[in-house]
Amino acid sequence: MELVKFRDQLFIEGEKLGFSDIELYYEKSSNFSCQIFKGEIDGYESSTVGGVSVRGLYNGKMGYAYTEKLDEDSIKFLLENAKENAQLIEDDPEELFAGNAKYEEVNFFSPALTEVSAEDKIAFLKDVEKKVLAYDPRVDQVDFAVIQDESSEKALFNNKGLALSDQNNFLFVAVSALVKEGEEIKNGMCIKLTKDFTSLNADEIAKTAVEEALSYLGGKTYPNKKYPVILKNTAVASLLAVFAPSFSAEAVQKGQSLLKGKLGETIASDKVTLLDDPFLPEGIKSSTFDSEGVPTKKLTVVENGKLNSYFYNLKTAKKDGVESTGHGYKSSYKGTVGVTPSNFYIEPAESSYEQLYSSLEEGIIITELAGLHSGANQISGDFSLMAYGYYVKEGKIEGATNLMTIAGNFFEVLRDVEEVGSDLKFSPMGGYGYIGSPSLKIKSIAVTVD
Amino acid sequence: MLNKSLIEDVLAAALTTGGDFSEVFVEDRFNNSMILQGGRLEKSVSGRDFGVGIRVFKGLQSVYAYTNDFSRDGLLKAAKTAAQAIQGTNAQETVVLPLEKEIVHNLHPTELMPNSVEKTRKLQVLRKANEIITNYDPAIAQAIIRLVDEEQNVLIANSEGKFVEDKRVHSRLALQAVASNGSDMQTGFYGPGALQGFEFIENLDLNHYAKEAARIAVTMLNADFAPSGKFPVVIDNEFGGVIFHEACGHGLEAAAVAKNNSVFANKVGQKVASDLVTYIDDGTIQNEWGSINIDDEGEKARKNVLIENGILKGYMIDKFNGRRMGEESTGSGRRESYRFAPTSRMTNTYIAPGKSSPEEIIANTEHGIYAKYMGGGSVNPATGDYNFAINEAYLVKNGKIDKPLRGATLIGNGAKTIQLIDMVGNNLGHGAGMCGASSGSIPVNVGQPMIRVSEITVGGREA
Repeated sequence: MELVKFRDQLFIEGEKLGFSDIELYYEKSSNFSCQIFKGEIDGYESSTVGGVSVRGLYNGKMGYAYTEKLDEDSIKFLLENAKENAQLIEDDPEELFAGNAKYEEVNFFSPALTEVSAEDKIAFLKDVEKKVLAYDPRVDQVDFAVIQDESSEKALFNNKGLALSDQNNFLFVAVSALVKEGEEIKNGMCIKLTKDFTSLNADEIAKTAVEEALSYLGGKTYPNKKYPVILKNTAVASLLAVFAPSFSAEAVQKGQSLLKGKLGETIASDKVTLLDDPFLPEGIKSSTFDSEGVPTKKLTVVENGKLNSYFYNLKTAKKDGVESTGHGYKSSYKGTVGVTPSNFYIEPAESSYEQLYSSLEEGIIITELAGLHSGANQISGDFSLMAYGYYVKEGKIEGATNLMTIAGNFFEVLRDVEEVGSDLKFSPMGGYGYIGSPSLKIKSIAVTVD
Repeated sequence: MLNKSLIEDVLAAALTTGGDFSEVFVEDRFNNSMILQGGRLEKSVSGRDFGVGIRVFKGLQSVYAYTNDFSRDGLLKAAKTAAQAIQGTNAQETVVLPLEKEIVHNLHPTELMPNSVEKTRKLQVLRKANEIITNYDPAIAQAIIRLVDEEQNVLIANSEGKFVEDKRVHSRLALQAVASNGSDMQTGFYGPGALQGFEFIENLDLNHYAKEAARIAVTMLNADFAPSGKFPVVIDNEFGGVIFHEACGHGLEAAAVAKNNSVFANKVGQKVASDLVTYIDDGTIQNEWGSINIDDEGEKARKNVLIENGILKGYMIDKFNGRRMGEESTGSGRRESYRFAPTSRMTNTYIAPGKSSPEEIIANTEHGIYAKYMGGGSVNPATGDYNFAINEAYLVKNGKIDKPLRGATLIGNGAKTIQLIDMVGNNLGHGAGMCGASSGSIPVNVGQPMIRVSEITVGGREA
């Protein structure tokens, strides 16, 4: 069934059933991905999928339902379920956005990217794999090599006259190299995300992955204690992704954020500025409107250590008597409207990564963190995480450490930032917004080395 | 869900470029999720997933296409897109064998289909759990109770003539307690689940599960930070098994073994673990959360002994990785939904019970860590390095459980850790979890009796 026809019929039937306000949210995405193993296509995927969800106000309460099957029966399924759900909900009322707002005119869709043929993408990936294998005799094999692109479109309509649509696309390459020396096996990864296929460089990708893997060989053990620490850009980004919910007004209002009551207060070192930019050209969360239809805007969340604003959607903004900041996102048509950042990052400063560690008499560089979904307490900020990295002596990297854990508290880390690097990088793995950071120099963190 | 002749046409269209095997996976799934937070029902969402996945093999090439356009044209188009990605030609054209419907014997009876139960009845359970948690202790700030249930209908057909349908009903209650003393917050969690309908939820012993979640949160609020260093670690039963799920289970999946990306590759018949370890993956246990009737390639569930008395016996194998290994499927091909090509995955994986009583194990530990409830973790499958959090930990001093500890993370290498198991208890229990890997997030059980590992690195905050 066609979307426009589906929408019109849904609104008519919905109003008949007693919904005062009703919204249709639509998403569709096309994906291509290919994996190479030993020069052969090992996995290949192609898809076009989408779905719709309904939000409807019934007796002042918002009901939700969604479906991936767009047929006549689904209209009944959606409305009946949304009604039953609305009747049960005891939460503060949500509202639908009337529209008539002014939206930024930015285009996040690259038509050139859709023109790149599958053959070219596969050939590029084969080249990357070949270059990884040829880079160093210690390369044992390629753990995985994948290229993927995604085009997505979303649209939002309601019976108050709102009609919005948006498109985005990106391509990503990830390769993991396995290196072996004696019995020791290490891996290193390179992930690139772009809208410009021609910007990708196979040599550079192979080099980054293999060099990282090699750099972890020959790890040593070091005393367990508190060290000055350089947190590398993507490690900070992965940490910030875990604790970003603390900045959402939803968590604050539910008493699940230690940032409650801290607006206007200093919560971080004066070196730290946190920005949310929904218009970032390469941002995968870039959009001119959020899932409620509210126009997005650039937001300074923390400015030189001072907490300026939380993230708001319509419901949480109403409760605090402020305007929505345009952060009412849902993860997909299957989700409910929550509050999440768009492209959220620590503003970069001057120092290069090398400059950051060259000032350390003794210290640890943390390149990568693991176990973030389990080793971090999102509310308290406490974390104890597996980490990879190097030992630094007199400003020079002495070599890899054995497996480590670092333990501390995220909010303390923010206060202990002594220097901010210039090497802003985003972590493509985060589901909770698109999160980035430069490398940071931290006063001290407890480190345990295996 | 789709008629047989259309499926036959789709299977044939997928083989037009020389593929030697094609498969269709149709999924029609109804999901419900309800969240009660702070005593109020904050979310209640219902939805329907519907889509079709088409897979083609040619030798060691595998192509997957999926869509939720279920029209004849849409499906044939997806099949042809998949076929076009197949490279090279086949001397002999593969034909689709006539589909013959196989009857699935249902091992996991269900009485109350989730969609037949009024949501108000479900809400009563949520309210009761909320009441138990909030009344447990004045330090409890909030309870977050989440009920998820789903009815997944699948149809699996392939060019070898397989045609089979199955219905999977999952129900899970996730209980989270938040305790606070003003400046600090700690959480406790318990999440029982089953391959069963609403009767599982209604019959749950809430007094046990909800109280445990509350007790963990309150206990951790008053806990000291864990020490760092190497310690003997006692890991209790049920969800404690997550360590071996991460540390060994993933390495025994054909996805890692077929490409030699696992420390367990080429080691069948060799000693890989302590003699005390027998490790089993069993998808047939009645109504267990990780159980199945058939896997997502249509193969019957079975009990696979992976390690027996320390000797590696076999792997968990799906069809595609089986091709690379020259081995048959072990009924281990699983996927989250039609959006994922299946791969080898776990079902209910556990360490078989041993002879020691839990009391004996603690009494024999002079100075160590007792992990009463484990949190989640992850493993780097290439190296076997794992990490996971302990949700409720204690210091063990002179053979007795001492003070509670917070913020403890265990790190190590799976292949080494299973050789260091030096005591295995007699109290086998299973715990429900979600496992994420290349074929998506699927329900699995982890399990074990209480065990002791002679040495694991504990990452804490106190030196």
